Amino acid sequence: MSFPTPRIYYFRKYYKLASSLKIMKREIEDKTILDKFAEQFCSIVERHCKYIVCSGFVAIAHGRSRGTEDIDMILERVKEENFIELHEDLVKNGFVCVQSDDPKILFKEYLTKKGSIRYVWKDEGFFPPEMEVKLAKDELDNEQIKNRIKLPLTKLNIYFSSIENNIAFKEELLRSDKDMEDARHLRIIYKEKIDENEINRIKEKIKKIRIKNERIA
Amino acid sequence: MRESHNEQVERWAEYVKNNPDKWKSRLKPFLDSQIIIARRFYKKLAETEQGKEKINELRKSATANYSAEKRA
Repeated sequence: MSFPTPRIYYFRKYYKLASSLKIMKREIEDKTILDKFAEQFCSIVERHCKYIVCSGFVAIAHGRSRGTEDIDMILERVKEENFIELHEDLVKNGFVCVQSDDPKILFKEYLTKKGSIRYVWKDEGFFPPEMEVKLAKDELDNEQIKNRIKLPLTKLNIYFSSIENNIAFKEELLRSDKDMEDARHLRIIYKEKIDENEINRIKEKIKKIRIKNERIA
Repeated sequence: MRESHNEQVERWAEYVKNNPDKWKSRLKPFLDSQIIIARRFYKKLAETEQGKEKINELRKSATANYSAEKRA
């Protein structure tokens, strides 16, 4: 014998659903132009290779109150044919590269020479925001891609380099006032979770690999 | 002067940490306005004589500054 479901059950279920929809709606409305641009770009890149978003946008996505027109992305070292497919997919989905429309030129003349290329929304006529894309250039970049992470606090569906990596790069390599402030902001947001030993390990690696190589160059 | 700016950076970071559902709606107009203003400016600049060349120069200069910052 079954009993009719009490009305309160349906009311609670409806209330729960309405609350979830309200939260989802607010999260969508809260997305900035940079958030939408980054999520759209990353969803296309993810179909072709691994990537990370690093540097300033990591701090901005965690509430750092400063402006930027570009987002930094590092791609794993893809082959030329993979890059061509990725570029064509980006173009098909409304992005355009500032430097050239020819993916072979972009790969040979920019990416393999440790340079960067910049993509923008085609409809906006080469204006901001921009995604600055580079290939992983050394062990440090490969390690950042290997340990990439989604950061739930940002509410963004994007892979970032770890917080420890971002702090270490900003404090050890980049070191401008803006970068030091970004690092301090991230340190406050993640103060209970930050692994200081990991930051020091990455800083040592930056000194050995990046700073030494740049002195030689 | 600098110290008070540092304090402001820290105060805002604490606010973000303690108000995960509120900070975004407060920051969104500020972040979006920078992109909107930049777009508006570049569009106007592009319409002027040599405007497109100047935009290209600005782009190259931004990339050069970024690389220099990383080397410093």
